[in-house]
Amino acid sequence: MLAYSRPFLPLFLHVAGAMVLFGAVGAAALLAWAGARRDSPALARSALLALLVAAIPAWVVFRAGAAWISSREGDPKGTWIDIGSVVGDGGLILLLVVTGLAYRWKRRGGVRTPRWVAGLTSIYLAALAVAWLAMAGKWS
Amino acid sequence: MSTSQWLLTFHITGAFIFLGGSVLAGVLAVLVLRNDRPSDIAAHLRLIRAVVIPIGIGSLLVLAFGLALVHEQDLSFGAFWIWASIVLWLAASALGGIGGKRQKATRELAEQLAARDDAPSDELRALLRDPVGNALSWGSGLAAFLVLVLMLWKPGA
Repeated sequence: MLAYSRPFLPLFLHVAGAMVLFGAVGAAALLAWAGARRDSPALARSALLALLVAAIPAWVVFRAGAAWISSREGDPKGTWIDIGSVVGDGGLILLLVVTGLAYRWKRRGGVRTPRWVAGLTSIYLAALAVAWLAMAGKWS
Repeated sequence: MSTSQWLLTFHITGAFIFLGGSVLAGVLAVLVLRNDRPSDIAAHLRLIRAVVIPIGIGSLLVLAFGLALVHEQDLSFGAFWIWASIVLWLAASALGGIGGKRQKATRELAEQLAARDDAPSDELRALLRDPVGNALSWGSGLAAFLVLVLMLWKPGA
């Protein structure tokens, strides 16, 4: 029930990419919150892999799907598009920063860096939730 | 926003929690295979357990608001993409539930071994790679994603 009269493949890439992105960032957030309680190289490695191997590729698929839909629909306008663009494009910067922090956590260990990873990934999850609400409700 | 838009917003929110949570569990299920120490394995499996309730809430939201949308928009339950989605939702829930019980046994063994000497165990490794348990969990995820395919493609609509 997501959308009538839209091309299937670009919409599927966009929505599935967003859902995988949400799940992968959520996995990194949970691993980081757990790692902030006890120093664990295993949790640090898993958080880095979740971001590198799942979240970043998912972001690429999600963003490519959005660009494809936009090109076919004549670059639609609206608050919901603006929110989606800010969270989508701004999210890449946040994703790269948090991946760098996860790399630092894996190299140096400790419980301070995972707190940053946990906080930033949680903020990104909240932003993704706002974006999906805006897109679903077509906020004007 | 219209009633349909509100229902759609909650339906999509449920879908994100359901599918995003399933992806989260899948990512952790893959990452846990890279570990040998029972304490590390237990730590990963406890995180999967933490998302079981949100996945359940998401799956109920997606179904409830999906059914409400069928009613609101005067759609037919006889349409292939609607009844097939409900069947796949049931399959995803059943497979996930059975797979989750097998994973619980793995987590409990990992916690026992972690409390004892935290030494790598062949029995634990075998349970983690249990083909039936993995097939159930991945089958559940696949069924959930097929629902997404049907919702977007709407064959026959």
